[in-house]
Amino acid sequence: MMSSFLQVLLDGLLNGLVYALVAAGLSMIWGVMDVINFAHGEFLMVGMYVSYWIGFFLNVDPLYSWIAAGIFLFILGAVTYRLIIRNSLGKSAMAPLLATFGLSMVLKNFCMNRFTPNFRLLSGTILEGKTISVGGAILSVPQLVTALFALVVLGVLYWMLKKTRLGWAIQATAMDSEAAELMGIRTENIYLLVFGIGGACVGITGGLMTSYLAVYPEVGSLFSLIAFVVVALGGFGSIPGALLAALLIGLVESFSGFYVAAVVKYVAVFAVYIAVILVRPRGLFGW
Amino acid sequence: MLRKIAIAATVCVLGVFLFAGSAVADEKVIKIGALFPLTGPSAVSGQNCLNSVLAAAELINGSYTEFNVPLAASAGLLDGYKVVIVKADHQGKPDVAKSEAERLYNQEGVFAIIGSYNSSATKPASAVAERAKKLFLCGASSSAALTERDYKYFFRHAPTDAIESAEFTDYITYLNKFKNTEIKTLGLIYENTEFGKHAADEAKKAAKEIGLEVVADVPFNNGATNLSSEVQTLKAANPDAVFGAALGGDYSLWVRTMKQVNWLPRIAINYCTGYQNPAVQKELAGDGDYFMGGMGFSPELAKNFMPEALKVQEKFYFPLAKQEFDSDSLQEAVMLLVLGQAIEKAGAVDTEKVREVLSTATFASPLSLSGEVAFQPGGQNVKALSVITQIKDLKYRTIYPERFQDSDPVFPMTPWDKRN
Repeated sequence: MMSSFLQVLLDGLLNGLVYALVAAGLSMIWGVMDVINFAHGEFLMVGMYVSYWIGFFLNVDPLYSWIAAGIFLFILGAVTYRLIIRNSLGKSAMAPLLATFGLSMVLKNFCMNRFTPNFRLLSGTILEGKTISVGGAILSVPQLVTALFALVVLGVLYWMLKKTRLGWAIQATAMDSEAAELMGIRTENIYLLVFGIGGACVGITGGLMTSYLAVYPEVGSLFSLIAFVVVALGGFGSIPGALLAALLIGLVESFSGFYVAAVVKYVAVFAVYIAVILVRPRGLFGW
Repeated sequence: MLRKIAIAATVCVLGVFLFAGSAVADEKVIKIGALFPLTGPSAVSGQNCLNSVLAAAELINGSYTEFNVPLAASAGLLDGYKVVIVKADHQGKPDVAKSEAERLYNQEGVFAIIGSYNSSATKPASAVAERAKKLFLCGASSSAALTERDYKYFFRHAPTDAIESAEFTDYITYLNKFKNTEIKTLGLIYENTEFGKHAADEAKKAAKEIGLEVVADVPFNNGATNLSSEVQTLKAANPDAVFGAALGGDYSLWVRTMKQVNWLPRIAINYCTGYQNPAVQKELAGDGDYFMGGMGFSPELAKNFMPEALKVQEKFYFPLAKQEFDSDSLQEAVMLLVLGQAIEKAGAVDTEKVREVLSTATFASPLSLSGEVAFQPGGQNVKALSVITQIKDLKYRTIYPERFQDSDPVFPMTPWDKRN
């Protein structure tokens, strides 16, 4: 009984950390630019495909190919900003939302067309099938590694935002872009960078997730929905908020799934979200 | 000058369209809608089903005397009608399936629809057909409820979940009696959809009949990010047997999650799920071994009992799908061939006459395991037959019933830590 509890607890924490990393990029983009990137789930899917194909053709393990996925998604994010978001900013609030929605359709259908809807799973990876036992609970090493990466990446992001000039510039742009511009900050470049970093975060997650999750064109859909909940729950633009909210979501999902009924786990997640938003509309750490 | 070029180009384009239109209009065609989930979570299976229907259309439209399949030798139907497949995508969504069915009948003018893989999509789409008094032929959807509506225009090839559930419990009875396996408890894991819920209901009924105690009942949302809680629930209940109804990616996630927590039941049998899809099994590699499932086709089975299916697969299906038939997709091709035979027997492209033939005749079907297709009132194929297979080294070995058996089953499933 105790080992079941521990297993459920650890599963929830691991899933929560993965959600945190998926949500971190979205949180930054939303917090700094006030833009909802509807293609975030598809960015995750592209990151997974990058890692998968590198693994498939070049035999590079996801333990290394996450770097390529991160770089590719950084570029994709930056290009998305230059070609799509920049042109839709300052127009109707719906413009960037619809533009990224369109982008999500393009990415999903492009992958569907090029790679077929087949489920693709990398086999023979370094961490495949490896588990460790913690007090009777069994942890999947690929998932554990992804979760640890999430902690490191979130730590680096937090440090960058709080301790570096670039981070201060990003925060200044988020607070008041006109004032930041007057202070000599090139907000255009900051926006581009933020979109790139957002893409890189989700690219890294996707790159690592290919070691234990099948890749297919729809794989990002539910992840992106949960990422939206995490960001809104944690507070727009807050990295610690995203981390705590993601852990909360992971635990609620895991405990409700095991102790109530598996089929209600997402119901519980969205119920918690609604409850928190009713009490605290700006989220746990929002300003 | 530019204006003249623009006018000339417009005239040319219009001319091409007009010419193309008249060319199509002159041809004798029978339009058949192929309504499948071409995008969305079930897209892999939907694309396979579509390719299967396209392969059957090619077989009907050409003249292939080397095939011992009805309609293969003559080109087209009746006196030269070609079958034209009109594709439609319902994305796995019932509401889209309904509106696409309406579009296919009303705007595209299709004579019949073949589809729609997901039982939840087939249900509303076939209701549209029934109201419009149009034919709807279903290959793979297995929810028993579909043929319990007394519809007159709906015909289904696949064995229902009720038939499969009874077969699964028959097999367990057989194992307990002759192999002394002492399987006493059952766990159910299924997607929370029309298909999954009906499969689970039928499984519970069948289990009750043989005194198998259901100790875990685990529905899940398809397209889940993880199945940790679901597998933990199964593991905690530790049933001897598990019946699974998880499609595509969910199936591989379920198998991998069981590996992750180092747990397996002694026997796991699947309905028409990701288990049947060779592409999913290929991705799972050795992890998919020792699982079982109900199937109406496998390349191994076909070698002995359905050789023509392998020939059709090689010439028509493989070039389109780049993989072998699976049990679900093949049944969609069968339904187009049955419809073609019914049109031939009716002697006209007339819905009522064809419906009458479909309701009363028995059709030769070398692409079906039973070799024949015949429908009872309500539209269920009374000749529907499936076997239980067990996968090992990417080969589906037939283990039950005994008359089809080509291998002994591996029981209990080899634990994860004892596999190479």
